[in-house]
Amino acid sequence: MTVLGYLANGLVFSSIIVLGSIGLSLVYSIADFANFAHGDTMTIGAYSALVTFGAVGGLGGAVLGLPYGFFLALIVGIAVAAVVAVATEKLIYEPLDVDSIGLLITSIGIAFIYRAVIQIRFGSDFTRFDVRPLRPIEALVPYGVRITLHDVAIFGSAVALVVGLHVLLQYTDLGRKMRAMADNPDLARVSGIRTKRVKLWTWVIGAGLAGAGGVFLGLFNQLAPRMGFNLLLVIFAAVILGGIGSVYGAMAGGFLIGMINQLTPFFSNVVEALPIRPNWLATLIENLVTIEYANAIAFVIMVVVLLVRPNGIAGEGAT
Amino acid sequence: MSLLDDPKAAFADLTRPEWWVLGVSVAFLLFLFVAMLTGGLSPTYFLFLVGLAGMYALLSFGLNAQWGFTGLINFSVAAFFGIGAYGTALMTASGSPIAGGFNPLVGLAVALVVAFVLALLIGIPTLRLRADYLAIASLGLAEVVRLIVLNERWLTNGSAGLRGIPGFFVGWPVLSTFPEAMPGLRLEVVPGSPVFLETPFWQASLNGLLVVAFAGGAYLVLRRAHRSPWGRVLRTIRSDEDLARALGKNTYSFKMQSFVLGSLIMALAGVFYAHLNLYVGPGDLDPITTFYAWVAVILGGSGSNRGALFGGVVIVTIREGTRFLNDVALPIDPAPLRLLLIGVVIVAVMRYRPQGVLPPQRELIWPSAVDGGGTPETPDSGVRERKGGGGDE
Repeated sequence: MTVLGYLANGLVFSSIIVLGSIGLSLVYSIADFANFAHGDTMTIGAYSALVTFGAVGGLGGAVLGLPYGFFLALIVGIAVAAVVAVATEKLIYEPLDVDSIGLLITSIGIAFIYRAVIQIRFGSDFTRFDVRPLRPIEALVPYGVRITLHDVAIFGSAVALVVGLHVLLQYTDLGRKMRAMADNPDLARVSGIRTKRVKLWTWVIGAGLAGAGGVFLGLFNQLAPRMGFNLLLVIFAAVILGGIGSVYGAMAGGFLIGMINQLTPFFSNVVEALPIRPNWLATLIENLVTIEYANAIAFVIMVVVLLVRPNGIAGEGAT
Repeated sequence: MSLLDDPKAAFADLTRPEWWVLGVSVAFLLFLFVAMLTGGLSPTYFLFLVGLAGMYALLSFGLNAQWGFTGLINFSVAAFFGIGAYGTALMTASGSPIAGGFNPLVGLAVALVVAFVLALLIGIPTLRLRADYLAIASLGLAEVVRLIVLNERWLTNGSAGLRGIPGFFVGWPVLSTFPEAMPGLRLEVVPGSPVFLETPFWQASLNGLLVVAFAGGAYLVLRRAHRSPWGRVLRTIRSDEDLARALGKNTYSFKMQSFVLGSLIMALAGVFYAHLNLYVGPGDLDPITTFYAWVAVILGGSGSNRGALFGGVVIVTIREGTRFLNDVALPIDPAPLRLLLIGVVIVAVMRYRPQGVLPPQRELIWPSAVDGGGTPETPDSGVRERKGGGGDE
């Protein structure tokens, strides 16, 4: 594959990471804790879409190689993820009388409950959406880019969702309230903002985007009960790289981490070509920059960012 | 505490939750004992369960030294457990790709040294971080360790894991041949269902003794450390790190000490596990082990060593109980059921009893301060007069 090919793959994978990281970042800044159940919220979205798609079928026509029924399933996936997240907030997080660390630990329990329920219902094996796999787009193959129409659909939907969120945050009342709350919850409250309601909307938006990300992840790879949890740390890496609490930072971080993840094979070619001395160092780096360590590279970047620039690339003040 | 001196008073002192824990534990033990006598539970398997419970207790002790004492959110328990297990396995196993065939004591030493180095490697960058960042960073680094173990085949045998690990007592003077040397016994407590005590049983009882020694040693060390001036600094850091720093304590150094101490105990659990299971694989570094230890600690009560012990037993009950349930009653896959129970326990504890079942307050009081007869000794003269000051208001 050529550089262009890796970049195209990176773009698609980044779309999924961005969808996940926005929600995680929103919840981190407004509900004020690291939500370890976020990855499993993605899984919930994916499996809800799987069930819906199985029930409604194709519904006639198709766009970008995906039947109409799939888009309906996508909407159901988003809705179910949002409803589950709001119910969890109402039933579990809100009545709790613990600090943000306690909430973090609780969210791990929630993550396990989500995953266990899915695993009991669907088993632990991989499944796929019942969509006919497509061949790569012919016109792009000469450039070494092997992406399918499905990938284009993933990228396009993600861009639409992100633009929608941008409009919501910048130009609507709710968006202004959310930004005010992320900035200073107490001040927002004394200004007459109903912080509880804003928090619920945060969960709806965050979990909805995560649900969409889960559906796309299922389309990009396959579905498994662990899919979300396995991606969670990568999403955390993206959020931290972008700066916790900053939505636009999370977008940038998600984009970068997704790119780095998919570009790892390219980097390993580069490393082999570079004249690194001494030789043992060259061997070491060549061994470490391989596809097996794609995630590990993201985690190391995350730790380095935490140490060197805890506010992330977006820095303080951006929301 | 003073059970031997004055059993009656010691029982009267128990709080309600302590009564509950004591009652449930005794009832549970009786149940297991009856099951064993009637042949429903083989003694060897029972001892295996004791070994597992001891192992989880060790893991929880280690985590308790980090989270319970100092408030470090360490999500890399599985990494230290796995490194301990791999450390000894690589030294002793016949299938080891690098060394193999050494005495398990060498394995123990190597495992502890490797865990020490890893604790420094993980601790140096992450311990300066804010609590929730530490959680994420340590989980990430634990995944890095797992990926390395999974992928560096020349070192760890990769996903095939390591087979042919000897028992811990191989090469010891008497104990190495003890299981074979013991006669096979046949007990018939309930007529018609005899209980056999043969070589595997004696082997398992040796393992049981080993874990009791490990866990007992760790418990004593931790109890002493927790009450010592050193432990008091750790507790201060946990409740208010700025205060500790204002008192002139190098909090980073104290955090590092508690991190290393806890990590070594976790590695000890890994060493025991390797010689109990006789096989280790990359699956043993799965993050679920980390969360098992976390459940044990928060259920028992953060900071409480007794609580950690109790939590370890509960974890084994959940782990093996779901397997048993699957065999006997409900045909549900035990893995997700276990996950569900763990999740429910976490949420329930945080919801109804965030301080845990056995919170540590009472543990931290020196017995002499209580048994002296109620009222504490009052000094003859006030502290201020003795210090010669007093006009600082």
